[in-house]
This record gives sequence, C-alpha cells and structure tokens, in this order.
Amino acid sequence: MFKFKKQYFRADHLKVSHRDQYKRFTRSKAGNFFYSFFLIAFGLFSILPMIYSILTSFKPLDELLVYPPRFFVIRPTIENYTVIPSLLDNLAVPLSRYIFNSVFISVVTTVLHVVVASMGAFVLSKSNVYGKKIIFSIIQFSLLYNSYTLAIPRYLIYSYLGMIDTYWVYILPMIPSSMGVFLMKQYMDAAVPTALIEAARIDGAGTFRVFWQLVMPIVKPGWLTLTLFAFRDLWQLIEGGTVFSEELKTLPSAASTIAAGGLTRQGSAMAVTVIMMIPPILVYMISQGSVTKTMSSSGIK
Amino acid sequence: MAKLGKKRRVRGIESKKSLYGRMFVLPWEIGIILFFLVPIGQSIWYSFTEVWLDPIEGITTYFTGLENFKYILNEDPKFVDNLTTSLTNFTYSLPIIVIVSFIFAVVLNQKFKGRVLFRSLYFLPVIIATGVVMEFLTQSVGGNQNPIIQLSTDASNAYVSGGIDFEGVLNSLNFPAEITELMAKYINMIFNLLWDCGVQIVLFIAGLQTIPEQLYEVSKVEGATSWEEFWYITLPMVSNTLLLVIIYTIIDLLTKTTDPVMTQAYNLMNMNQNYYHSSAMMWMFFAIVGVITAAVLFLYNRICARRWN
Repeated sequence: MFKFKKQYFRADHLKVSHRDQYKRFTRSKAGNFFYSFFLIAFGLFSILPMIYSILTSFKPLDELLVYPPRFFVIRPTIENYTVIPSLLDNLAVPLSRYIFNSVFISVVTTVLHVVVASMGAFVLSKSNVYGKKIIFSIIQFSLLYNSYTLAIPRYLIYSYLGMIDTYWVYILPMIPSSMGVFLMKQYMDAAVPTALIEAARIDGAGTFRVFWQLVMPIVKPGWLTLTLFAFRDLWQLIEGGTVFSEELKTLPSAASTIAAGGLTRQGSAMAVTVIMMIPPILVYMISQGSVTKTMSSSGIK
Repeated sequence: MAKLGKKRRVRGIESKKSLYGRMFVLPWEIGIILFFLVPIGQSIWYSFTEVWLDPIEGITTYFTGLENFKYILNEDPKFVDNLTTSLTNFTYSLPIIVIVSFIFAVVLNQKFKGRVLFRSLYFLPVIIATGVVMEFLTQSVGGNQNPIIQLSTDASNAYVSGGIDFEGVLNSLNFPAEITELMAKYINMIFNLLWDCGVQIVLFIAGLQTIPEQLYEVSKVEGATSWEEFWYITLPMVSNTLLLVIIYTIIDLLTKTTDPVMTQAYNLMNMNQNYYHSSAMMWMFFAIVGVITAAVLFLYNRICARRWN
C-alpha cells in the first residue's frame, strides 16, 4: 500500500544526523525576536491545558467553584492529593493495588511487545521467510484500522480462550500490535547493513545471538521509541467490558471513578490526572533523542 | 549430478534459516491471527448478516446480503449526516494540519538555543493526551461548572481545551455574545490543530534532517534564492516524508475515537447490541478511508513523483 518510488534513506544518513547539519540562517534582530516569540507562544499554548490541570490540582475547593474560572491558583493546597486514597475507600481495593496493576501491566506488556515486535521485524527485514510479503501487507492493512471497532468479535475470542477477567486480557492482545513491527522493520532496513549480519554469521554466531547481541544494540533508538509509544498506550488502558473484578482494574479506571464524583471532586480528579501524566513523561525523557532518529527511517516503502 | 547436489545443499541451509525465521516471527503471527484477522473476518461477516443474541445458541447470524448497507444509507437517520460531517472536517483539517506541521518543523529544525526543549513542548501532547487524561482534558473536569455553559456547549465537539473555559473567561470580559462564542470556537480549533500536529512535526523534522547540507551550499554558490531553494531542494527532498505525513494524517483523522461515524458505530454496538449495522457502518467508512488513501497515493505517483524523482 505504501509504495514509494525512490529511497533516500540509507544507513549512512543516520550517522550523519548526529552531526550538526542544520542550515544556518543569518537573521535580523527583529527576525530573531519573531522566531522566539512564535515558538514560545505556540509552545506554551499547546501545553496550556496541562499547566491548567496542574494548577487546578492545587486549588482549594472555594477556588474551584469560582465563576468565571481563574487560571492561577491563589492559595495552593495539597489536600487534593492527600485525599485521593480516602476517596477510594468504598471500592474495597486500596489505591496501591490500582497503581500496582497499572505498573505491572504496562511494564510487562511493553517489554513483551518490544521483544516480539523486534523479533518479527528482524526476520521480515533480514531473511526470506515464507509469506513475507503477505505479512507486510497485513501489517499495513491493520495500521489503517482502528482496533477499538473490533470490540465485539474480540470479546468472543477472549471468552473462548478463557481470558475474561484476568490479567491476560490486558497483556495478550497488546503484544502483536502491528505498529511495532512496522516501525522496527523500517528502522532495521535502514540501520542494519546486511553485510554486518553475514560477517557475524561467518564468525559463527547463531540467529539468536545475531539478533540479541548485534541487531538489538544497533536498533536501540528504534525500540526506545517503540517503548515510548507502547507505554503511552498501555498506561492509559481501560478494559471496560472484559475486566469486572475490582482488584484487576487499572489506575485510569480508578481515576474515572474519582472524576464521576462530581463538582467537589474536580480537584482530586485533576490531581489523579497529573499523577497519570508523570510516568509517560519520564519514559519520554529517557527515549527523547531516539524519536526523531527512528522517524527519519520510517519513511521508506 | 554434482550441480544438483549443490543446489540441494543450498536449499537445505535456506530452509533451516527459514525455520529459524518462522520461529522468530511466530509469536507475532499467532497474535495477529487471533486478535486481528479473526475479528476482522467476523466483522465483515456481520456486516452482511443479521445478528441477534439467542438465549440458547448465543450469537446467531442470518445472511441478508447488502441489506445492512442499504439500511444505513437510506433509512438510518444519522449515518449520512455523520458521514458528511466527518468528511467535511477531514477535508479542511488535512491540508491545514500538513501545512502547519511543516511550518513548525522548518522552524524547529533551525539552529537556536533550547531547540530540544521546544521540540519536546510540541511533542508533549502526543505523549500525554491519550485515553483517560485526554478524556479529562476534553470533558472539562476543571472548567464549565456553570450549568448554562454546560448546556450551551455542543457535546459532540470534544475540544482539547475544555479544561479551560475560554468561553467563560471571555464572557467575563463583557464582549458581545456572538464574538465570545466565535473567539472561543477559534481558540478551541487552534488547540485541536496543535494537538493533532505532534507526530507530523516529528516526521517532518526527521525528513528535513536527511537533506544533505551540501545541496544548499551548492545552490548558494549557484546563486539560488531561498525561495528557489525551498521549491527545488527542500520540497522534493521531503516529498517521501510528505506522503507519509499525509497518509498518517488521513488515518489519524478518520479513525479517531471522537469521529462522529466511529462514535455512532461504537454506540450502536455497545449500547444497542446492533452488531450488524455497526459493522456495516464501519466497513463502509473503512472503504471510504481506503479509497481516499489510494487516491492520494495515485495522485502522488502521478504528479509529484514524476516531477521530483
């Protein structure tokens, strides 16, 4: 489906991108000012809702109810945060359980997804496995499709496999997400020279060793990017129709419960939102440099 | 004979390698068959049948041919409207998003202090604003306490900035109501736009970085203006990325969970247990997305690729 006429990306381009190859402009002072103004204005604008939610999470009740709403907080309080555990008292499961569930599911699934996707991508990129072309067109096809529209047929499969109301329902369906294989394959095509693999084979390395000790370190930016995207999706995951036990639910569903409490709980709902924002940002900080590098190779084919 | 023997040996190694490869790709294949291909097949089947929940046999299907498609196009009260809304939104969003993200990418690709910080700023919504957090930010947990405002806000327009009640703030400044409404609408639109651009900006930056510096040096020696540089170097060199961004944007815009058609299909399925109409809607919509994507690819190959490659 994505057939491009010409390939501009080769492995050596990736090396070049480390170097400073940005075009240097000689701008007037006014131009410089305009640039910075443009960037700062739109940059701040794009994160305004996040700043607002952070500020709101520190507002005391009377400030939350002011109309028209005020942007800044005058008397900050941490009450909205300290009150969260007690808000979940009537749910039979403590807050720590939700946090554990979320962390457990996101970490385990992200790791499994990255490993499975890289293994698949390695084969699709570097060997002649049977049905390679069909597999790749299935990947492209599934990229077009929104998984959330498949809820009902998927439910039937879950119940057939006995996965309903277990941790499996979070973990298994997320592992073969095709975005991962697509990204990793494109990155491996560009970053791993076939000659390198051949050399390693001649030196006596087996397929597994080539993959684990040679290819994976080279494509580190690729799987760091993948980790970021996978973690982002998994951290937000709510399995509404397939998980019913309260002790198996994740932090987002606890957050929805808090938010459903109405006006007086707005502060706490925002506090949970702020807490939920932190882990993806941490993952982003780790993988930050890799994102552009990976994207630059995803343009082929 | 010797030749034959050699050939057989080569095939032996190849098949061994292939077996290894199969092992590597197998976990993913099983997963995609179970959780993607089988459900897709089922959903296609549903769109041509009538489905009901039988108390004894479970889900029962009865083949009705194209009835479902006829129904949603001719009789369903909302589908055609939703489809038009969705496609209209798409038609004006696509060029705006592509152009705006390209401008941002060009600006962010330049050399200045704090470049990494700014790139992160524009990419941050991509990381944070999904799922529950996005829901909270759109459902205006923080703002819109005023019941009058809540009623007047169109619920179908899920705006990112809902957390901040711009309309309320503007109202308090005593502007006429029409101007307030209009301004709030445009501010919200800018938000949606900016939040849709994150990945596209990164893709464009990545594309821009693959352009060799030498090309610009040569063109400068030859005396090209920056306008010519843009049209003859920058644009042709990012044409691949451009296509990728366009396709990404098409898919991103049309398969969003806030899309009216998607919402209608999802609600039909989950609230009314009307699997067949919902499947038919999704396949209809999916076919349209496919046609649009194919058209873009065709146009690209016809016009751009011929001129630039």
